[in-house]
Amino acid sequence: MVNKLLFATALLVAGNALAAETAPRASVIEADPQITGASLAPESDGFIDPLRELKFNPGLDQREFERSTLEALNVYDPLESMNRRIYHFNYRLDQWVLLPVVSGYQYVTPRFVRTGVSNFFNNLGDVPNLFNSVLQLKAKRSAEITARLMFNTLIGVGGLWDPATKMGLPRQSEDFGQTLGFYGVPDGPFLMLPVLGPSNLRDTTGLVVDYAGEQAVNYLNVAEASTDHPEIFALRVVDKRYTTNFRYGQLNSPFEYEKVRYVYTQARKLQIAE
Amino acid sequence: MLRTLRLAALLGGLLMAAAASARDIDAASYGYPLTNPFEATIATTPPEQRPTLPSDDEIDQADYSLNLRPEREFTLPDNFWSVKKLKYRLARQDREAPLIFVIAGTGAPYSSSINEYLKKLFYQAGFHVVQLSSPTSYDFMSAASRFATPGISQEDAEDMYRVMQAVRAQHPRLPVSDFYLTGYSLGALDAAFVSHLDETRRSFNFKRVLLLNPPVNLYTSINNLDKLVQTQVKGIDRSTTFYELMLTKLTRYFQDKGYIDLNEALLYDFQQSRQHLSNEQMAMLIGTSFRFSAADIAFTSDLINRRGLIIPPKFPITEGSSLTPFFKRALQCDFDCYMTEQVIPMWRARTDGNSILQLVNQVSLYALEDYLRDSPKIAVMHNADDVILGPGDIGFLRKVFGDRLTLYPHGGHCGNLNYRVNSDAMLEFFRG
Repeated sequence: MVNKLLFATALLVAGNALAAETAPRASVIEADPQITGASLAPESDGFIDPLRELKFNPGLDQREFERSTLEALNVYDPLESMNRRIYHFNYRLDQWVLLPVVSGYQYVTPRFVRTGVSNFFNNLGDVPNLFNSVLQLKAKRSAEITARLMFNTLIGVGGLWDPATKMGLPRQSEDFGQTLGFYGVPDGPFLMLPVLGPSNLRDTTGLVVDYAGEQAVNYLNVAEASTDHPEIFALRVVDKRYTTNFRYGQLNSPFEYEKVRYVYTQARKLQIAE
Repeated sequence: MLRTLRLAALLGGLLMAAAASARDIDAASYGYPLTNPFEATIATTPPEQRPTLPSDDEIDQADYSLNLRPEREFTLPDNFWSVKKLKYRLARQDREAPLIFVIAGTGAPYSSSINEYLKKLFYQAGFHVVQLSSPTSYDFMSAASRFATPGISQEDAEDMYRVMQAVRAQHPRLPVSDFYLTGYSLGALDAAFVSHLDETRRSFNFKRVLLLNPPVNLYTSINNLDKLVQTQVKGIDRSTTFYELMLTKLTRYFQDKGYIDLNEALLYDFQQSRQHLSNEQMAMLIGTSFRFSAADIAFTSDLINRRGLIIPPKFPITEGSSLTPFFKRALQCDFDCYMTEQVIPMWRARTDGNSILQLVNQVSLYALEDYLRDSPKIAVMHNADDVILGPGDIGFLRKVFGDRLTLYPHGGHCGNLNYRVNSDAMLEFFRG
């Protein structure tokens, strides 16, 4: 009996104590000099409405999202039907061939080997980077890339290490597509290249020129050796896929093609402008 | 004797009272660096204040797929080939271990970045981890959802439960000691409903369930998100759209910097630069990303159910067909439009439903109030400045969860999930 009474008392007390629970402290505000003004006082339950500090369109009827997005969908894409088929082909190739190969590659090689391989091909890639940087008359960048090439080839043993990045010379990529863009050549129609993915006529041209240039320069004798040893080329492809983060389907949207197309176009514009 | 007993009872009562009020973390001792809720939502925690996590190489993981709705093979158009089976990711320990299911937020796939983060966190702590797509995601709707009209939390939970059972059935030899469940954002709401369903179906007997930043009132949340694209953004005019404005800023930022370097610190550096975004611009950015989710949901639901609102029911689609015209139509539909045009009519027809208020009560946390109050195994972590909450929502959480609510002063929407203090709290909760 006594126990029951005690239990009841305890419950009552608990109830009272709950009811008397003080309103949450305002310490959030005091501790935070960045938020000022009474408009941001928390509500009695501690809620700080982030929408309160925003300026809204009075009628809540602006169509800015729609306007921006509709405009963004205007990418010149006359070969859309073929491009979409190639996009699906690439998606399947990626899922059924390339990604399994990459995961096998990851399985059989330790990480430092993979990093070495990436560094090696990146070092080769610095040759076209240098040419295109010179073609765009970017003196500082050309000097930096030259320094990178020297450090990485000599100290980094043919490019297997990347000491230049640690010395504060990060990799800066320039390709012939960017050079063409730099001199005002327009994008041309959007193209989805088999295996290689999104591109456009200008950048595809750039790709061909860069490839031809690489064959002609034959830096570190790799281009020539690749013709005798196709495995070097294969390794390069695997490395390329290994270092590319994009996964088909990662946007998880029925409109992934449109989104990839827009992002590619804008990313290239950004690379050219910079 | 009686007096001491009484004193003990009083003390006990006080203790209970203290224990029953929410754990409010105060800003000073919390130390989260981003006090702006929008910045926190977009950038999340600065890299140096995140927990150290294993890299993907160190995790024994693979993607699997489930064929849950075989008829969709024939009813869905060709270009949906990649989502006719539902994929999920399983990271397995090499010994017997507890298994945790992680449910993604609005529109997000199993491989979303927060899911990946949670996987690493729990894997490191010795869990098998199963990453699941949100019932609102494109792949889940196409491959696992019976009605493909997400938004009715109860139905979504049933679909999700079937997925979980199928996952378990696909790995009969995986030695599992106990089952745990978590989810973030909308995935947290799903987790609550799944946990409730599990009380009667008993396939898993979840030992502990953690809800991370759940919406309380789903209708408030979608209205807040829809509203975000209505902010007045400086710099938008007839000749400049919002995206152009963002890209101009980004271009100038990189030009000032001298080179393009995409890394995790980029966002913080950007916000420190002259090109930093205003609150309105960040809100618009968040709103935009949610509008894209809304467009995906509206289109996919309409297509699978052949409602004819966005795409004519018998429109032939092959891998080469342009979807751009339908994208243009779908992107004009926000969450509210999707609810009004697709969810409510279906719900009314199927369940003899009535007013929208009734629907809101059914699909929000309110529906589970009694269950959540009486289930000590369920806890919630939330932020005082989360954009998906409305007035009174935190009060509801306090009332229902008591001391099982941990309320952080900052973090926006899910921005502090990868803050070390939060990750420690999550692990501590699951360790019990």
